[in-house]
Amino acid sequence: MKPLNANEPPHEHIVRLEDVSKIYQQGKIQVRAVDNLSLDIDTGDFCALCGPSGSGKTTVLNLIGGLDVPTQGKVFLENQDLGDLNGAEIARIRRDRIGFVFQAYNLIPVMTAYENAEFVLKLQGRPERECRDRVMAILTEVGLAGLEHRRPDEMSGGQQQRVAIARAIVTQPAVVLADEPTANVDSATADSLLDLMQRLNREDGVTFLFSSHDQRVMDRARRLIRLRDGRLGSDEVRP
Amino acid sequence: MNILSFAIRNVKRNWHRTLVTTSAMGFAGMIMILYASLMEGLFQASERNAVAMDLGDIQIHAHGYRRDPDLYTRIADANHLVQSLQQAGLHATQRLYGFGLAAAGSSSAGVQLRGIDLKNETTVTQIHRHLMQGRWLDRSDPHGVVVGRKLARTLNVKVGDEVVIVSQATDGSMANDLYRVRGILKSVGEEIDRAGFFMIAPAFRELMVLPEGAHEITIMRPERSASLEAATTAVKTLAPRYEVMSWRELRPLIAAILGLADTHILFALLVTYVAVAMVVLNAMLMSVFERIHEFGVMKAIGFGPGQLTLLVYTETLIQVAAASVLALLGGLPLSGFFERHGIDLSAFVSSVSFAGIALDPVWQAYVTRRSVVMPIVALFVIAGIAVIYPAVKAAVIRPVKAIYYR
Repeated sequence: MKPLNANEPPHEHIVRLEDVSKIYQQGKIQVRAVDNLSLDIDTGDFCALCGPSGSGKTTVLNLIGGLDVPTQGKVFLENQDLGDLNGAEIARIRRDRIGFVFQAYNLIPVMTAYENAEFVLKLQGRPERECRDRVMAILTEVGLAGLEHRRPDEMSGGQQQRVAIARAIVTQPAVVLADEPTANVDSATADSLLDLMQRLNREDGVTFLFSSHDQRVMDRARRLIRLRDGRLGSDEVRP
Repeated sequence: MNILSFAIRNVKRNWHRTLVTTSAMGFAGMIMILYASLMEGLFQASERNAVAMDLGDIQIHAHGYRRDPDLYTRIADANHLVQSLQQAGLHATQRLYGFGLAAAGSSSAGVQLRGIDLKNETTVTQIHRHLMQGRWLDRSDPHGVVVGRKLARTLNVKVGDEVVIVSQATDGSMANDLYRVRGILKSVGEEIDRAGFFMIAPAFRELMVLPEGAHEITIMRPERSASLEAATTAVKTLAPRYEVMSWRELRPLIAAILGLADTHILFALLVTYVAVAMVVLNAMLMSVFERIHEFGVMKAIGFGPGQLTLLVYTETLIQVAAASVLALLGGLPLSGFFERHGIDLSAFVSSVSFAGIALDPVWQAYVTRRSVVMPIVALFVIAGIAVIYPAVKAAVIRPVKAIYYR
C-alpha cells in the first residue's frame, strides 16, 4: 500500500519523550502518573509499553497521541514538539499522523465497517474513489472482505477490533497507538489480531506502540518498555 | 459519509426520544399556525370592518368639518371631484351626514343620518353585504332605511317597522319624515352600530333640504397592494382645497394596533416556543451527554469541534424539519377548517369588539403566508437557540476525558 505522505522522508525517531511528567489532581491529592520519562520510539517499531495497572501506560499513550498535555517535559512526534501546536493543529496531527486502537474498539455505532474505516479519510477530504479503493484494500487486508456493510452491533468483538485497526491504519499514520487492544477479546481472537498487526508492521512498515499487560502482546513485541510508577523500569529490545 | 446522513442515522438511533421531541415541536407548531391564522383573521376582520365597511382608504372633507361636523360645511364640487378621482383610477363615493332623533313606538334614540350614493358606495365599501337582516337600500324605495344593530335594538324595530326622523334642515325648517326599516346591519363599529341610519342620498337631500355638495368623499384603492401613501398624495393633488387623510391618519389608534399584528404574533410565538425550547434543550443535552464517550473518540481520531457543533445542529434541524412537516400537515387543515367555519362565540358574548371595532361573533381564521411561515421560521430560530448549549458542550469535550467517560 502506497503511503499517503510518501514525499516526506522517514523520521528515525517517530516519537520522542523528553523528561515528561504528568501530574493529576485528584481532590487534594496529586497523582504523578508519569514521572520524568524519556524515551524514543523508532520508525517501524513494534513496541509494547507494559506494567501493572496505574503504572502510566495509558497516560503515556495519551500524551503521545496529543489527547493530553504533559505537566512538564516535551513530546515530539516526527520531530514536531506537540506543545508548540494549538488545539486545531493537534487535531489535524491526530487525524493525519496517528492511528488509535482502543480497548473497547470505540467504533461509531451508526456506521458500517466500511464507513467507520472510511471516516478519517473523509475527514481528510480524500476523493471518493481514493477512499473506496483504500478502504476496500484495508478491509481485505484485515480479513473483513464481505463484512463491510455490517454495523458494529452485527460483528463479533474480534471483527470490531479489526475494523478499529483498519480505521487506524487506513490513513497510513506515522504511528498506531493501541491501548490494550486484546483486552476485550478471547485468546484465539487476540492471537489473530496480533498476527494481523505484526504482519502490517512487517509488510507495510506500520509503527505500533501498545499499552498492555497481556503476556501475548509482550511475547510478540520486538521492544518491551516496562513502566513502574510512571518511570521507566526497563527497555528491552529483542532481536 | 457526509454530516447530513451521519446526523440522520443519529436521529434514528433513539427514535422514541426523536418521536417525542418532534411531536412536541410539531404540535406546538400546529397550534401556533392555527393561532397565527386566527390572529390574522382577527386583524383582517378588524381592518375590513374599519376600512371596507366605513372608513375607506382615504377621506376628503371640507376644512373644519371633522372638528365640527356642521351640516353647512360641505365639499361644494363633490360630483366633479368624485368624477376626477374615478378618472384617476380610484373608487370614490360621496356621503352626506346629519344628526337627528329617531322614534319608533315608545322608543327613541339620537341617530347619525347617512345619505349614501348607491351606485358608487358599493365600489368603495362592502357595507351593502354586511346585513344581519333584510336588504340593502334601493333607489326604488326612497323611504327604506338600513339601521345599525344596536340602534335597532334600542328602537326595538325589526325589518318592515316604521321609524320617524326629526331633525333640522339646512333652511332652518323642521325636517321630519316617516321611514321603513329595510335592513339591519351586522356589527361594524360602535358608531354605526349605535347610531347608523342609512338612507339613499336623494332622500337625505330632500329631508335636509340640501340640494348639492357632500360632507365626505370616501376613496378606496382599486388594488390593496397599491401604496396607501402614494394614493393619498395623488388624492391631495386632485383635491388641494380640501382636507385629505388616509384611514391611518383618521384612526391612528386602530392603525397602530393593526400595525402591531406581527409583533403580537411573534410575542405569542416566543412565549409558546419557550416550552418547545426546553424540550429541544433537554433532548439534545441528553443526546450529547449519552454520546460524550463517542464524541471523545471522534475527536481523538480527528473530528473537529466545528464539525461536532455542525453535527449536533444538523441533528436538531432534521428534527425541526420533521416537526415543521407535522405542524404544516396538522396546522393547515385545522386553520383551513376555521377559515371556512370559524369559531362561533355568539353563545358566549352578544357582541365582540377589538380595538373599538365591532366584529362578527363568528371568529374566522385567515390563512396567509405570514401565518404559516412565521410559526415555522420561529420554530427553527428557537430550536437553533436552544441547541447552542448542547452544541458548545459537544464541541468543547476533551477527548482524553470523554474517551474514558462511562
